[in-house]
Amino acid sequence: MTGLRTELRRMWIFTAHQLRSRWRSLTIWGVALGAMGALYVVLFPSMSTFMQEYLEQAPESLKGFLGELQGPMTIEQWLGMEYLSLLIPVVLPFAVMIMGARAIAGREERKTLDLLLSNPLPRRDVVAGTVLTMAIVLAGVLAITWMLTYIAVPLAGVDLSPARLAYSLVALWPLCLLFGVLALLLSAWVRRSAFAITIPAVILLAMYLAEVLGQAAKSMEPYRVVSLFYHVGNPVEGDFPWTAVLLMLAGVCVLTGAAVAVFQRRDVFT
Amino acid sequence: MGPRTSSAILTEGLTKLYGRRPGIEGLDLEVLPGEIFGFIGPNGAGKTTTIRLLLDLLRPTAGRATLLDRDAHRQSVALRGSIGYLPGEFGLEPRMTGRQLLEYFGRLRGMDDLGVAPAMAGRLDIDLDLPMGRLSRGNRQKIGLIQTLFHRPRLLILDEPTTGLDPLVQDTFLQILREARDEGRTVFLSSHILSEVERVCDRVAIVRDSRLATLETTESLLEKRRKRVVMVFAAPVDAARFAQLPGVTDVQVQGTAVSLRLQDGIDAVVKLAAQFTLLDLRVDHPSLDEVFMGYYGEQK
Repeated sequence: MTGLRTELRRMWIFTAHQLRSRWRSLTIWGVALGAMGALYVVLFPSMSTFMQEYLEQAPESLKGFLGELQGPMTIEQWLGMEYLSLLIPVVLPFAVMIMGARAIAGREERKTLDLLLSNPLPRRDVVAGTVLTMAIVLAGVLAITWMLTYIAVPLAGVDLSPARLAYSLVALWPLCLLFGVLALLLSAWVRRSAFAITIPAVILLAMYLAEVLGQAAKSMEPYRVVSLFYHVGNPVEGDFPWTAVLLMLAGVCVLTGAAVAVFQRRDVFT
Repeated sequence: MGPRTSSAILTEGLTKLYGRRPGIEGLDLEVLPGEIFGFIGPNGAGKTTTIRLLLDLLRPTAGRATLLDRDAHRQSVALRGSIGYLPGEFGLEPRMTGRQLLEYFGRLRGMDDLGVAPAMAGRLDIDLDLPMGRLSRGNRQKIGLIQTLFHRPRLLILDEPTTGLDPLVQDTFLQILREARDEGRTVFLSSHILSEVERVCDRVAIVRDSRLATLETTESLLEKRRKRVVMVFAAPVDAARFAQLPGVTDVQVQGTAVSLRLQDGIDAVVKLAAQFTLLDLRVDHPSLDEVFMGYYGEQK
């Protein structure tokens, strides 16, 4: 019991140190995404009128494609079109993918891993502490994003439920975390941080393309199922994707376990 | 200081292969508690591989290592609490100060202060409050040395520790190592600066081509190697007579001076020299540098 407490304490010291060294980037990411969200909300009244006029003049085929967008646009539809379906889920994973890649392979490249591991810190704690750091950083960024976006709601005079905005952001938390942990697994496996970022980035963009093309072309629709974006859906407009969220969290646990196993076995070089 | 152990480091058939290329092969080594142990060899001989195996950074292909009576792999986390390690090459987070690094590592080690770090910083003349990105190479090395020693480890494992240090700081550091030994700590020192090994080490192991070539006390290693004897006579002498003596090699004549290399005792040389009018006799003991080069050349 004392051993477990000691290990948890060490893991928390490692995590707290990482969080301290990343508070600036956490703030920058949160403020940037939050400011973007606020801008989307502020622009909504004028954009909704413009979009409605545009859709009324659009060719029938485009109207068919846009489907549910016909008629007056809601703030949920407006945010779901780009901000919550493209900007955050495609951009934010990079913040944690970089962290994951730098955690092991990056430390080897910077030659700081030897000194860290010369302390009584088990390798599994380096992996688990990094996942915990990524989870807290993501939660922090999404909380700042929610706050700044929601500040603009009364300014723009739109009707957006804070809970709906919150759970649409919460649904993106495991998605981003999953890609971060994938980068960490690759970082634990190979000694190239660029490789550990590139592979998840390619998968992320491929999934996004599969979802977008699946929406646009009937022939591509069956491929949407491979995309996490499809499974997360658009919770700002619909239900909270419980199944997808739980499966993604399970994926986070599996990838974390794999990263621990891989890192335990491999040689550390400088 | 913790419990007394039978061996500070014990390796049995320790082997690491990188593919087919050996890093170190069949290393059997015992380092005794409370000694400064020198581990020398040319670049690529297997010194750093051995150290990384001891620290569990590399997994051995065969064999095992025990440090402070604990298995280097299975009990590595517990062991690291009693070990101070300085890698041959290391990076430091540029934005952190030395103090922040030591506080962080101290917390990981369960310390609530900086231990002997402030005193060591004073002796090594380094400001712990500067961001490490602004430090010179020598000063970064000092931070590395302090993080190795500040928690007063029972076993110090140092890979080329004086690289980048000026001679005065090297002296101070070697004095710190002697003090550590006097307190009963063990030092495992890998170096290619043989003069410093000669100055502080009690025993020396030489590795060559990934194998242990020899392990002896520094004294006996120096003792066993060839001394140079220079004799100046009143008149030229027949140097061939000296060359016939056992253990004598490399006889050179310059006017009335004869110099030779001597492996064994000097008695026979002195007795032969006494048959002539001897004006001067000088015996130069080889430095470890010469011993190492001689040994290495001989083996080749």
